[in-house]
Amino acid sequence: MALSEQTRERIESIIGGDDVVLFMKGNRAMPQCGFSNKVVQILDSLVEDYTTVDVLADADIRDGIKEYSAWPTIPQLYLKGEFVGGCDIVTELYASGDLHRQLGQPVPERKIPTVAISDSAAARIREYTARAPDKELKLSIDARFQASLGLAPRQEHEVEVEAGGIRVLMDYATAERADGVSIDLVESATGAAFKITNPNEPGEVKQLSPRDVQQLIDQGTKFVFLDVRTPEERATAQIAGTQLLDQATGKEIEKLPKDTMLVFHCHHGGRSQAAAEHFRGRGFTKVHNLAGGIDAWSREVDPKVPRY
Amino acid sequence: MPLPILNSADDVCGALRAAIVAALPDAQAQVTAAGPGHFEIEVVSAAFAGLSMVRQQQLVYGAIKELMAGDGAPVHAVDRLRTRTP
Repeated sequence: MALSEQTRERIESIIGGDDVVLFMKGNRAMPQCGFSNKVVQILDSLVEDYTTVDVLADADIRDGIKEYSAWPTIPQLYLKGEFVGGCDIVTELYASGDLHRQLGQPVPERKIPTVAISDSAAARIREYTARAPDKELKLSIDARFQASLGLAPRQEHEVEVEAGGIRVLMDYATAERADGVSIDLVESATGAAFKITNPNEPGEVKQLSPRDVQQLIDQGTKFVFLDVRTPEERATAQIAGTQLLDQATGKEIEKLPKDTMLVFHCHHGGRSQAAAEHFRGRGFTKVHNLAGGIDAWSREVDPKVPRY
Repeated sequence: MPLPILNSADDVCGALRAAIVAALPDAQAQVTAAGPGHFEIEVVSAAFAGLSMVRQQQLVYGAIKELMAGDGAPVHAVDRLRTRTP
């Protein structure tokens, strides 16, 4: 399929618009294919901000980019307007440190992480690997510190560690987040399950009551107080000293030091919990949720704030 | 030029080899089938000298692109592509 002039211009404008541009299936928050996801994981661990283009949402781009790059598959990574490669090549470049260099980042010391596996977990794992002799145990920890275990064939550029007599493989990005991880087997109502404990995970979102937050204000504690509701709700009732979390404010927050104290609120505490989890996933370590939201604030701290 | 009807994985392997050699006359190409529509390719050619991995692979993909074109294409995916100089 020929590349129309219009599509070519669109592509050139996209790849010229950001240093890092990834043509992928799905988007950064929700990749729709394993290879695209792999590249997203790698980029997430290297750069805060980058552009992704969902080829599933645009047939012209989907076909056009394959012509433009002379490359038949998706994902495709462009750095500073130059085509770098697909998933395999990006994985190679990440492993060799070349990707870090191209992005002006220091090449990390590749430390081998220490992983512990309890006896009961190891025994269960051996049962699985016995039935799948060509597969190895893989540990995967994404940029949001979500961990998973699986069985898969060995691939290139994997870090290998031994734990509890079991060989564990992981990609380089996971290895950087895995030092001190322990894997255990726990009983639950639905049966036994693996539990992965990672000391490197940023702390949980903490709940604060309206009185707790008022106390922080009275003490002069420095924190960013964010309202995640709609502008309409905000017009109805707001807490003094809060900022609306719109896209522009979100970008400003990303730039703050990761130990900045953040407190999120909404109407009842649900949406703000989700917002808080998002920023925790972005690496912020002091993230709090106002339990009960502005509704509880009105009832417990400041009845002058209207309830709705 | 209309493509011949390719009935078996062997046919497709042969077509891939032929396409690669047509574009890179000195190339030694090894093509193995790895499941329906999936192939693994290794190409050795002096034409790769001095080229980055991406450029080397672009040469091979360029050579085989007709075999990958369209919904019913005989080559759905190249699972592994190795390129090197002799």
